[in-house]
Formats: sequence, C-alpha cells, structure tokens
Amino acid sequence: MSQGLFVGLLSYLEPIFCALVLLSLVRSGAARKFIFLTSLLGVKLISGLACLTLLGLSSRGIERHLAYQMYFYVYWISYAVEAILSLLVIYSIFKLAMAPLKGLQTLGMLVFRWVAAISVAVAIGVALTPHLSGMKFMVSMVTQLQQTSSILTLCLLLFVCFAIRPMGLSYRSRIFGVSFGLGFLAATDLVRSAWLSHNSNMYSTVNIVSGLAACLTFLVWSAYFAFPEPKRRFIVLPTTSPFLRWNQISMALGDEPGYVAIGGIPPELFAPAELEIMRRASSKMPANLEGQTGMHHSISA
Amino acid sequence: MKTIVRAVVVALVLTGAAASTQIASASASSKVTIAKNSAMPTPMCPPDDPNACGMR
Repeated sequence: MSQGLFVGLLSYLEPIFCALVLLSLVRSGAARKFIFLTSLLGVKLISGLACLTLLGLSSRGIERHLAYQMYFYVYWISYAVEAILSLLVIYSIFKLAMAPLKGLQTLGMLVFRWVAAISVAVAIGVALTPHLSGMKFMVSMVTQLQQTSSILTLCLLLFVCFAIRPMGLSYRSRIFGVSFGLGFLAATDLVRSAWLSHNSNMYSTVNIVSGLAACLTFLVWSAYFAFPEPKRRFIVLPTTSPFLRWNQISMALGDEPGYVAIGGIPPELFAPAELEIMRRASSKMPANLEGQTGMHHSISA
Repeated sequence: MKTIVRAVVVALVLTGAAASTQIASASASSKVTIAKNSAMPTPMCPPDDPNACGMR
C-alpha cells in the first residue's frame, strides 16, 4: 500500500473512530460527566468531516484555490477550539481524579488556574519580540501555548499514574484511560512539532504517525467507555500519609473565617430574648467591671 | 502490570520532554510548527497562496 493511500485510509478512519468513542460515551451515560471530552470529540468529528469533504471536492466540485482557503480556515479555527477544549478536559479530569480529597482538589485547582494564567502570560511575553508582528506573532504565541498545554497534559498523566492508589482509582478507571489517551496525543503533538520545525510540508510523512496516534487513542477511549468502569475503591490511607496530611491542611486553608461584632451595633438588630439575656448578665456584673463593659450597657439599653 | 504502565507513562513523558527541546529553536524563527493530531494535511502556507500550498 502506498503512503498516500495509507494516509487517505487513516483520514477516513479517524472520524469513524471518533464517532465510535462518542457513541460509547453516550451509551455508557458518561457524556455529562465528561462533558468537555464529549465537546472535544464533537468538534473533532465535525471538523474532520468538513476537512475531508473539502479535500474530496478540491479540483472536482470547488476550485482548488478556494478549496484551500476554506480548508485553511476550517482547519485552524477548529484547531483553536480544540486547543481550548483540551485545556478544559485536563482541568475537568484533574477535578474528577481529586474528588475524594476535597482539600487537595481545591488547592490543586487553584494552582492549576495560576499555572494556566502564567503560561498564557509567558506565551504572550515570548511572542512579544521586536521583529514579530501580525501573523508571525500569532504563530509564535499559539506554538508556545500548544507546547504548554501538551506539557501540562503530560504532567497530569504522570500525576494520575503515580498517585492512582490514594485517589481510589485503578488502571481500568475511565479517568486513567482518558488521561493516558490525552498524554499519548500530547507526546505525539510535541514530536510532530519538532518534526515540522525541520520539515514543513503539507503532505508530511509525520501525518501517518499523527493519524495512527489519533486512531489508537480513539480505540483506547472506545474500549474504556464500552466496558463498565470498576467502582472507585474505598480509600484507606495510613495516618502518616502525606496525602492525608496535605488534604487536612488544604481543607483548613479554605475555611471561611468566623466574624465577631465589636461595636456600632444598633439594639434593633437583637431579638427581645437576646436583649433580656444581656440585661440580666450586665446586672449581675460587679461594679468595678462596669466601666469596661460600657458597650454592653449601651446595647442592652 | 503496574510497572509496565508506569514505564510506558515515563517513556511518553521523556519523549515529550526531549521533543520539546527541539521545538524551542524553531519557534523563535516563527515557522508553523503546530498541527492537529490527525492524518489530514496541515495547511502551512497563507490562505492566499498562489499554488494553493500544493493541494491535490
């Protein structure tokens, strides 16, 4: 089979496998739980079908230049949407994975938001060099963002893989399956970017690697969503576990503080019973303390 | 099983880290080094390219 034919076959297989994952997601009833993944797959499916139609109609139904223009915009707009949705998928997976450890979940999500904000700032900062403007600025910034997103995904995969036991998950859990697929795609993305920086060609050989990675990931996700997920294990942590300790600390950090009324409170704010208690309490106070508790007198008056 | 999965994950992360060092030099030259994870051709030229980027 020639390279062109193989790439063509992969291009047709991708939307089919993508539809298969979507079908498995909906049938398993997990579409709402993995709403961002469902949206990402939906965008991939629609853009894939649109791109295939444009490639098929080029020089047949539509003039070649017009077909390329349309293909260009469909490809890059869907790329931008997919990049944003990928970040949201990582965010939601982290949230789901950390669900039993509420304190660490809150702290982790706070850190995640800060990392994402700093990454965007760094990407803009790196792109803001004197010789870059317009389209080149956008290319530089989006490249940086894509790399950051891929590295964040790999970090998430590493975390889920090594902290799987304290989170009550197993390698058969959908959270691990989705993280693994995302990590696989992220690694391929980085390899592809490295390749394209040396050989940029519309019909590059690396398309085969990307196509295979995408199809393999879709198959893995289909399997994870087609079979029932094992229940989350009952989490038993030793009292000395750093997870437990950090979770307790994080929960305490997020507590709402209590408030104490000091002064300037009008008596109308109190219920008659409260006023009566304060009046009785102040009448029982020794005379030498009365000077210090003038405020209470003023309230009960 | 656990060891195999961990080894695969570490291999993926190391591959990604190694690849990201190769992109750094290219992004400075503002070349298009991004593409979707797909077998479909990547439009590398501007939309008004006179050759339609070699589209077949």
